[in-house]
Amino acid sequence: MTAKYDAVVIGAGNGGLTAAATLAKAGKKVLVLEQHNTPGGFASSFVRGRFEFEPSLHELCDFGTEEHPGDVRRLFDELGVKLDWCPVPDAFRTILINDPDVKDYTMPFGTKAFVDKMEEYVPGSRPSMEKFISLCEDLDRATAYMSAASGNVDPKVMQREHANFLKCAPYPVSVVLDALKMPKAAQKILGSYWCYIGVDLERLSFFFYAIMVYKYLIGGACVPAQRSHSISVALTDRILELGGEIWCSTKAEKILMKDGRPYAVRTAKGDIETRHVICCCSPHAVFGDMMDAADVPEVQRRDTNAREFGMRGFVAYVGLNRSPEELGLKDYSYFIYNSMDTADECRRVGAFETNDVQATICLNIANPHCSPAGTTTMSFTTFFNSDVWDSVKPEDYVKTKRAVAAHMFEVFAEQTGVDIRPYIEEIEIATPATLARYTLNPKGVMYAYAGNEWDSLLARLMMLSEDVKVPGIRFAGAYGPRFYGFSSTYVCGELIGKLTMADMKEDK
Amino acid sequence: MADFNFKVSLFGFMDMLKFKKIVPLRREKLAGGENTPLTGTFPINKMAEYLHPKHQTLTVKEIRDYPGAGAKGYVLEGESLAPFRAGQYLPVELEIGGSVLHRAYTLCSDPADAAKGRYELGIKRTEDGFASAWILDNWKPGDQITVAGPEGQCYYEPLRDEAYVVGIAGGSGITPLLSMARAIAAGTEDFDLTILYGCRREEQIMFREELEAAAAATERVKVVYILSDEERPGYEHGFITAALIEKYAPKASYSVFMCGPEAMYRFVGGECEKLGLDKKHVRCEAVPAPASPEGLRGYTGDVSGEYTLTLRLPGEERRVPMKGGESVLAAIERAGIRANTKCRAGECGFCRAKLLSGEYFAPEAFDHRRAADAAHGYIHPCSTYPLSDMTLLLWAE
Repeated sequence: MTAKYDAVVIGAGNGGLTAAATLAKAGKKVLVLEQHNTPGGFASSFVRGRFEFEPSLHELCDFGTEEHPGDVRRLFDELGVKLDWCPVPDAFRTILINDPDVKDYTMPFGTKAFVDKMEEYVPGSRPSMEKFISLCEDLDRATAYMSAASGNVDPKVMQREHANFLKCAPYPVSVVLDALKMPKAAQKILGSYWCYIGVDLERLSFFFYAIMVYKYLIGGACVPAQRSHSISVALTDRILELGGEIWCSTKAEKILMKDGRPYAVRTAKGDIETRHVICCCSPHAVFGDMMDAADVPEVQRRDTNAREFGMRGFVAYVGLNRSPEELGLKDYSYFIYNSMDTADECRRVGAFETNDVQATICLNIANPHCSPAGTTTMSFTTFFNSDVWDSVKPEDYVKTKRAVAAHMFEVFAEQTGVDIRPYIEEIEIATPATLARYTLNPKGVMYAYAGNEWDSLLARLMMLSEDVKVPGIRFAGAYGPRFYGFSSTYVCGELIGKLTMADMKEDK
Repeated sequence: MADFNFKVSLFGFMDMLKFKKIVPLRREKLAGGENTPLTGTFPINKMAEYLHPKHQTLTVKEIRDYPGAGAKGYVLEGESLAPFRAGQYLPVELEIGGSVLHRAYTLCSDPADAAKGRYELGIKRTEDGFASAWILDNWKPGDQITVAGPEGQCYYEPLRDEAYVVGIAGGSGITPLLSMARAIAAGTEDFDLTILYGCRREEQIMFREELEAAAAATERVKVVYILSDEERPGYEHGFITAALIEKYAPKASYSVFMCGPEAMYRFVGGECEKLGLDKKHVRCEAVPAPASPEGLRGYTGDVSGEYTLTLRLPGEERRVPMKGGESVLAAIERAGIRANTKCRAGECGFCRAKLLSGEYFAPEAFDHRRAADAAHGYIHPCSTYPLSDMTLLLWAE
């Protein structure tokens, strides 16, 4: 046995780092174990030639402004994490290849600007859009109440003051937007962010989606000046300053259990004694690969097997030897879909041949100094909701990933008129296998467990306590109660850090 | 609630019931999961491990001597070897005395041979190459060696590179181009390649037979030898100049791949500029950072300095001696500590460490750190030289 820690965090992803920082700030002795050589998980960067690429962050939501800080800004301020940020200029541009109602639209941030623009694209949409915004305000207030009540929500208060929340929360997006009598075309535009969650609008919880859209609209979005790696560096440095420890290149091999709870974590560098383990990694790995089967309760095994894996990620990164102006790129974020029949889109992303989805970012539009003068960096992201990559033979792997990337470049050229292909100076292509390599996520998922209708954000939050089936083990990050995405995982880390401290107090 | 005066009536009281069912529904779904064994390791995770193994064990099968070049070729065999792309290198781990050394050697075999359990390296005895000398003097058939998975970005990529490549090699820099030539001959790569291979004298040409076999197998591969120190019929004479490149390059656009010593990159790089080739069209294989910082532009330190390097490693702290005339990595490796290093050229970032105190020199030509790392005092020890005692947080294996 080496040293004894109040808590050991497995995985230095966003949730793991914020959980560790939260604990370290409260004076707890905490150790973060990370299998990769650098902390950060998805929040990282990599250098190719004269370009430094952002691997994963499109836009940080819920950051807000100095006057109206969002949860993430407040959290970073409290933790003492200081960074330079660049605002994202517009909400998004969406292009639909084959949709009968809408084709190409660019939407701004700000609720008023957004509603006005929508009225321009879809005359007559204003009343339903105003209702939507008003409903979002209700949901936001209800969420604030529930968070403040931290698990002790009074049903009477909810019924009296948050009735609209109770009414719409159990429904998927499409049902609520229909109930608001929102014109179909407006629903399609409003639904553009669906790929950030990777669940079709007929199965996706309205509550979750509406809160996300609302936070984007009121607070805008931003990106760090030095890629998301800088956030991980700042969090790492802060944890170290606060007396916490981080061991990279150190895999948590096993969680050692006694009397139904952990007493140590085994690594190649020895067993590390602790009674509290925060996992910023998948329950599949924790209960399947890091614990003896006899130590895993049946209820936990069933629970984990019941979860549905989210989207597997794929990203093509390019460094171009022309400026955005020279290329004719004006927008930061491009969603390109075949149509806004999102259930059909979800079927289409199951196969190579039919996947036309892309969420493409031109980082220079928000962060003009992210690459040398006269150059541009872009990332083309898509996802797969099937195990189609399993069928790729090793000898066809490079060819296959190249074909997927080439198809995205081609679709982008056809739909926007900007053909980047002659200007590629650097290129790197990440597949689900790449994500699996660096993050060890099962199946190379980028969205952990899918947030489908029964496993929604709300359902997870309402079951926060009962989801702990093995005392002493909690999940921060994308597998935790607050879902995936940068802002969610940061906020989740703080929540899990605080809940773990409560566990310590009650010796749970 | 004070500012809230807008109500949306949406649904009836049925919704309240539905709301109440959120938890029981999820409870039921979770309880309905299978009671079968769990794992987080799926086929794509296994694929990732196969593509990027942390360690591979190889056996030295065959050694070919190139005495004139001061080099040897090594055929290495192993089971289920990771695939590679022509132009990539193999990080080789050596234990010499109490030291652990890592060196990157470019694979020169046809990538298709990896699936048959075979890699090939060409290693040249270099002036400051303690490791290469040791390999040349010690490796013998039957020896077992440890390597990591293939790495590096000096490979042909049709989405980026032109369909015609002029490969410029100096000395043992021929290895990546030989791998490409073999891949083209085998039909696994699809581009035209003309190799301009610069050596001082004819006897220093490495892998001549193998290069000519590839060129004989396909019209798409051509090899031109350029001798700087002797004139012989059938050979070009002199340096690899813009005029020479132009003589062999196609009229249409082409990409240049350069593989060789840094001095060659500087000279040929300048020649490429004369030809109007931009960064997109000129790619260089990573050059290892020099053993000593002496003579590097901007270096003001004392190579005879004797320093102490304090290493905060997971769970322990160690103090090791460090010389001003060597990289920080050299001091780490001499102490037998595995720093995860792969490229030794400042490029891959695997040896990344956090500087807690001390002064250092990071030569610009080898400084490929992420912006936030440079700003927050993180270094790549393989391409960093000490100017004082240093304390590092190092996440060694």
